[in-house]
Amino acid sequence: MRKSAELLPGTLDMLILKAVSLAPLHGYGVLLRIRQISGGALDIPQGSLYPALYRLEDQALISSKWGQSENNRRAKFYALTAAGRRRLREEAKGWNQLAAAIAAALNAKPEEV
Amino acid sequence: MSVFGRTRQRLWAVVRRKRFEAGMAEELRHHVEQYASDLMAEGLPREQAERRARLEFGSLEAVKEECRDSRGLRLFDELRRTLAQMARLIRKAPGLTAASMAVIGLCLGANLAIFAVVDAIMLRPLPFPDSDRLMVLYKTYPGVGVDRDGASAANLYERRERSGSLDAFASFALLRYGSAIVGEAGSTRREEITRVSSGFFSVLGISPAKGREFSEQEMTYETDDVAILTDTTWRQRFGADPDVIGNAIRINGAPRLVVGVLPAGFRFLSSESGIYLPLSSSLEERGPGNRHSGQGGELIARLQPGRSVEEAQAQIDALDASIADQYRQPTLMAEAGYRTVVTSLHGDHIASVRSTILLVQGGVAFLLLIGGANLVNLLLMRASGRSKEFAVRMALGASRPRVVADVMVETLTLTTLGAFTGLAAGTAGIHLLRALGADRLPLGARVAFDGHLGVAALLVSIGMGIAAGVPIAWFHLRGGGNPALPWGARGGTAGLAAQRLRHGFIVVQLALAFVLLSGAGSLGLSLRNAASARPGFQPEQVLSGQVSLPGSHYSNNRTRLSFVARVLQDLGRLPGVVAAGAATNVPLSGQNVKSGIGVKDHPLRPGELPRVVYANSVDGDYFQAMGIRLIEGRFVEAADSRRAERVCVVDENVARYYWPEGGAIGHRLFQGPRAESDADLYTIVGVVGAVKQASLTEGATHGAVYFPFGHRPNGSMYLVARTIVPPESLRADLQRIVRAADPELPVYDVRPMEARVGDSLLARRAPALLALLFAATALMLAAAGTYGILSYAVAQRRREIGVRMALGAGAGAIRAQFVVMGLRLLAVAMLLGAAGASLAGWAMRNQLFGVPVIHVPTLAAAGGALLLLSLAACLFPSHRAALVSPVEALAED
Repeated sequence: MRKSAELLPGTLDMLILKAVSLAPLHGYGVLLRIRQISGGALDIPQGSLYPALYRLEDQALISSKWGQSENNRRAKFYALTAAGRRRLREEAKGWNQLAAAIAAALNAKPEEV
Repeated sequence: MSVFGRTRQRLWAVVRRKRFEAGMAEELRHHVEQYASDLMAEGLPREQAERRARLEFGSLEAVKEECRDSRGLRLFDELRRTLAQMARLIRKAPGLTAASMAVIGLCLGANLAIFAVVDAIMLRPLPFPDSDRLMVLYKTYPGVGVDRDGASAANLYERRERSGSLDAFASFALLRYGSAIVGEAGSTRREEITRVSSGFFSVLGISPAKGREFSEQEMTYETDDVAILTDTTWRQRFGADPDVIGNAIRINGAPRLVVGVLPAGFRFLSSESGIYLPLSSSLEERGPGNRHSGQGGELIARLQPGRSVEEAQAQIDALDASIADQYRQPTLMAEAGYRTVVTSLHGDHIASVRSTILLVQGGVAFLLLIGGANLVNLLLMRASGRSKEFAVRMALGASRPRVVADVMVETLTLTTLGAFTGLAAGTAGIHLLRALGADRLPLGARVAFDGHLGVAALLVSIGMGIAAGVPIAWFHLRGGGNPALPWGARGGTAGLAAQRLRHGFIVVQLALAFVLLSGAGSLGLSLRNAASARPGFQPEQVLSGQVSLPGSHYSNNRTRLSFVARVLQDLGRLPGVVAAGAATNVPLSGQNVKSGIGVKDHPLRPGELPRVVYANSVDGDYFQAMGIRLIEGRFVEAADSRRAERVCVVDENVARYYWPEGGAIGHRLFQGPRAESDADLYTIVGVVGAVKQASLTEGATHGAVYFPFGHRPNGSMYLVARTIVPPESLRADLQRIVRAADPELPVYDVRPMEARVGDSLLARRAPALLALLFAATALMLAAAGTYGILSYAVAQRRREIGVRMALGAGAGAIRAQFVVMGLRLLAVAMLLGAAGASLAGWAMRNQLFGVPVIHVPTLAAAGGALLLLSLAACLFPSHRAALVSPVEALAED
């Protein structure tokens, strides 16, 4: 397994919101989806996933519903709420601005100073 | 989601807790299983896959705890845990709970009751808007022994006129307490009234509920036939008639127009006045000639916002300095140290009781400390028994904050439970204080159980809980950190430290009890000394009552003299009366009339100031009725009032000052700064014994002069009668005799002289009684504490005792060991206590009378009492120690 990139603080919530925005997922599914959409580069510590899910649900950014998993087991599925969608948009925007700014800073050349 | 929705969701999680927990467990299990099956799909054998899945997931319980935390369930869990802990404490240690509730309840209750007095009298502001800006201005002449003289109309009007140079003040008003005859002839009653200048109510910031306040035009004798009623008077006398304004009320035999009704609950300081009248004055009385007359007035003022008392004082001082050369006797005023003092109205009103109240509060605070120390010792003994439990819990990973929190929850539970018993005890205490006369203190009517007390009880109990928790937590943390402690090892360092701690707290208890006991002893002795101080007259079997002759009906000397003569004649003929007399004032009446005197042929030496003496005008057989001793010459008699020749009697203090070698009789003296002519001189015809006028503990005074009533008449007088029957039984006869002379006149303030003597000790009796009560409680607590400590020591050392007895130690030696232990603690406590008692004696030196600050017999008696009680407390535990059976003790464990 490739060494996964370090997860920046504060980004876990954003990644979870992104993962469930594509389709309702159960907890384990969220883990797999994040690994998948990051091309296997991001691996979430399993222990911190559930507290984050519960926190997001408490903040009403996601909602949960019991359903059937792909292998016919009872599982809790998480879906994005309207508030969650708004939050995801804001966070993504903020993240992109930050990333662009950092990239610009790192690309600075001596003559630009 | 709204705050409401989120709260609902959380509440849902709390209520459906089981379902929440089950769902969470299923979800996490599902995760781990899925992961394991994915790993198996990658080719791992089942067992390894499951193991790795569990390992990578981490502690299931920790994750669950975090999830609960995320859902805001943690706080709820903690709360429930704490409540369960409190319930368990009460269930498992009912004895401890009951004991601490009793101890704290008693100590806190006593404190709350006293605090109710402190709060009512000192802390709660006066019930007027911005009352901290209300001031009183009084004159003081310390050089001639007059510390506080009131203010005259001249003082009021002069300051109002000079308001330009007194811009720190917003307004001034004058008032004078008094009484008046209210009602129709035949059913008149003497009632307290207050005369007030215009603007009085606006200075206070109060406007009448109906009508208006007095105008400046109503402040002359020709125009002052108006009155303002309090709400109570309006209800009682006018049946709360809404159209009362414009009606008449009969006061001193003349009708007055009601112009205003005050708001309900209005009360000026401690005044009982139901009626307010204008404080009239003539132009002459307002003139500069009256700057230094007192007239019993009180000048109050309101400061401008943002201006300080110091600024106000400086402006008054500057004004006084600018007019000082206009005084009639400028040098005399300077030598007398004349000054006008500006001070807080509230502070001035309670100044006489402040130090006593603080002393009592200080004493009762000691009781609280003793109770606290007692509680800590109870808890420390319990903690020793639980050190194993705590050591195990800390080994199992309970964090230090967790241990501290657990201890605090317990101590706080006990103290807050104690606060409830304390509030109940405090309510009872307030009733007791009322019975002791608390409501007769200035502002004492405000003493009541209120929300302040609840808050105080809560704060003190929380403070006590935390303070008591500190040593207990320290004990557990220390014990937990020490691997030598667990499994019942005794005498380890923690055990020793705990013992020292317990002994320290018992020493504190004993020392504080000692201080309280000796303080109570000193106050009690002072009370006894004061009560046995010779008043200079014989108060037994004397009835006294006051009569005031209204100036309108008794404008000249002849009418007043004939009234007094008739009343005294009737009174003297009453069966049971042996002597009857009249005087402008009687001793211990609460009023003092003083006057400056001089002696003919005794010119003032440089620096010598006129003597200011108690001046009294007497008629009839006043001296015989009062039982005042004749030293030489004769008394002033009824006939002296009806002769042109002016005579007087001086007391031994006056005689000794002017004629230390004797021979006062025949000399002549005068009232006031100088004698205008020889006709103003009074010839001394007798010398009588000194009488305590202001209080039984009054120090050396300048003395007293008695004039014949006819030469120095007064509108108000006391009638006194010496009886051979119980004086109270003649009360109705006294009223009947006065009404026979004038049906308009009521007699008031009718009391046996013994009652006046008794009441004058009120300010000493109540604190002494309270101190005694506190000391007795402290003694009980300290004894119970000593008993507990020794019993515990005996129980803890059973094995040691058994070994020593098995090796041949006798019962006497064992018994002596514990008695000595108790006595050693007591000895240390006594040393500390003696030092504390000396400090306490110094702090209350003003309350002592005839008792030195360090009074060895009192200290010895307190020590003796404590010794006896400690011995008694040692006796039973040491006896039980001596009964230990070696075989049983060694077989235990």
